[in-house]
Amino acid sequence: MKRALIIALREVKTYLQDKGDLAFSLLLPVATFALIYGAFGGQGLFHGTAYIVNEDTNGVYAKQLIENIEAEDSLDVELLFLADAERKLERSDINMVFLIPADFTDKLRTGQPAELTFMQRGNGGQDGQIVASIIRGIVSELNQEFQVRGQVEQALVGKDVSPQKITVTTWQFLERERKYPLIGVKEVVVGNKPNTVNEFLPGIMTMYVLFAISIGAAAIVEERRLGILERLLTTRLTAGELFFGKFLASVSRGFVQTFILLALSYAVFQIFTPLSFLTCLLISFIFAMAGSAIGLIIASVARTQDAATWIGVFVTMSMTMLGGTFFAIQKGTILYTLSKISVNGYANDALKKIISEGGTIADVWLELVVMAGVFVVGLVLSRLLFKAIPQGK
Amino acid sequence: MAEAFLVAKDLHKSFNDHKAVNGVSFTIGKNEIFGLLGPNGAGKTTTIRMLSTVLEPDVGEVTISGFSTRQQPDKVRSIIGVCPQELALYEELTALDNLTFFGRLVGLNSRETRAQSMANLALMELEQRAKGKVSKFSGGMKRRVNLAIALMGHPKLLFLDEPTVGIDPQSRNKIFETIQGLRTNGMTVLYTTHYMEEADRLCDRVAIMDGGKIVAIDTPRALKAKLGDPDKTTLEDVFLKLTGRSLRD
Ligand SMILES: Nc1ncnc2c1ncn2[C@@H]1O[C@H](COP(=O)(O)OP(=O)(O)OP(=O)(O)O)[C@@H](O)[C@H]1O
Ligand SMILES: [Mg+2]
Repeated sequence: MKRALIIALREVKTYLQDKGDLAFSLLLPVATFALIYGAFGGQGLFHGTAYIVNEDTNGVYAKQLIENIEAEDSLDVELLFLADAERKLERSDINMVFLIPADFTDKLRTGQPAELTFMQRGNGGQDGQIVASIIRGIVSELNQEFQVRGQVEQALVGKDVSPQKITVTTWQFLERERKYPLIGVKEVVVGNKPNTVNEFLPGIMTMYVLFAISIGAAAIVEERRLGILERLLTTRLTAGELFFGKFLASVSRGFVQTFILLALSYAVFQIFTPLSFLTCLLISFIFAMAGSAIGLIIASVARTQDAATWIGVFVTMSMTMLGGTFFAIQKGTILYTLSKISVNGYANDALKKIISEGGTIADVWLELVVMAGVFVVGLVLSRLLFKAIPQGK
Repeated sequence: MAEAFLVAKDLHKSFNDHKAVNGVSFTIGKNEIFGLLGPNGAGKTTTIRMLSTVLEPDVGEVTISGFSTRQQPDKVRSIIGVCPQELALYEELTALDNLTFFGRLVGLNSRETRAQSMANLALMELEQRAKGKVSKFSGGMKRRVNLAIALMGHPKLLFLDEPTVGIDPQSRNKIFETIQGLRTNGMTVLYTTHYMEEADRLCDRVAIMDGGKIVAIDTPRALKAKLGDPDKTTLEDVFLKLTGRSLRD
């Protein structure tokens, strides 16, 4: 046991002394976080571009439609020629184009239904879908306007009323309708705005813990290849102590890394209370144990350092993606079922519950139990598989 | 020969049907420098791995100072030191940190560890570079660190698997002197090498291995005498006569 500690201490000391290693393991998560924050944080509101092909070049209604879309804060308008639009769609530069046909104004003027075309790749992409639904809203407002105008015209048919008068009357109707809608929508803001820090921080942290553990696993494989592990067994160190020492080293490495990152975010973002900070440390610790058990399985099955690195990258990336780090996984999909195997998912959920939902340890016991289970099963399995010497102990 | 310190009886070891060691028996006397010679692939390293408890023989028994490697590996490990054929050390650590680490693992307390680390580095004339990273060392210096690690804990029996391979005459002479000095202080040594004049100069007795078997075992002088005038014959002549001139894979 004491000798296992000697093994672990040596590695932690090396990690803390190696400025490059230390810097990488802390700066890379921070850099990734900054990137994600830049990509998803800051601008809280949706902002998109409506790509429009207007074939009805002189039509007043087409012009009005485009003006209405431009008036929308969340949308920019980019006008394209049909050929350009098709080429861009083809190359996936854009996913959704709105086509105003040449007869748009004529049809509306003669009281026939006119048709807009949404040209899209696949489902049009998430942004495309949002832009499309905003445009649908604008179109239905226009529809309403035309209908009201039609009714007003019909009511006034035969009477000597100027078109200006009709327009004014129509507007008055619409104004009243807008002021006193039959179904109103009221916006109530609850709590803080969705917080990018809380959302992405746990996932990025747990991802880098697994990366660090994978690097540790690859180092074990290299030590085996160099005969260092074998040499260690000619001292008084037993194979069991060696295994346990490597486990402790890996846990400490992962935990030290999360500790520093959590402490940094405590200082920078002030997202913790002392208690929630401690709870997060506990979650990170159990996660580091589960991850380390997985790391030791990798170190046991990989024959070469490269193999260990690649297996580690694969495991880390799958766990990270399935853990909902970069995109939320929708319930009811196959991915959702698969995501249940992601140990990162449990850690991320637990950390989010504590950080953004103000939860306590009682709210995350399930996640803790699952991670502890992964740790126990993983550790037993890796102990059975682990060999210091390829054909020996 | 003095009282037997190491007794190896009928050792066998196969790797996937390939017999690496095939019935090897010998004894090493206390305070003896024993040479294990043989062409590449003869089975020298495999034999040392079995003697040093890290590989279990398929068949055969080893006792060291009365302790069985099978039943009392921990006892055996507490009295042996191993200097592996390949450099088995942490290049990213300093020489001193390497020695300290192994010192703690052989059971020294921190004061003993520090004292022995400095003494062994001094013995290898590396004290000036104690705090230097091993990765920055020359080949000869690395070999000397490799040996210094094996000396931690003052082992009674030292296994040296080609400790002088690929180094200059200065480093080699240093290692020679060290081994002779250690023997004077009571250590027993098992030494493998491909340099026959080295073995001739250093070893009390040598065993010549080939194809997993020992083909001759005696003092260098006696082996040479079997071939002719021991003052004119070399151990290399004996070696080539016994193991033939064909190349080994
Ligand atoms: N782990 C292993 N797996 C498979 N074969 C092995 C293994 N270790 C050794 N061998 C084989 O066993 C034989 C003896 O190898 P060993 O390393 O003991 O020879 P050696 O006498 O030390 O050679 P050298 O002088 O090159 O160091 C060789 O044919 C080698 O290929
Ligand atoms: Mg060898």
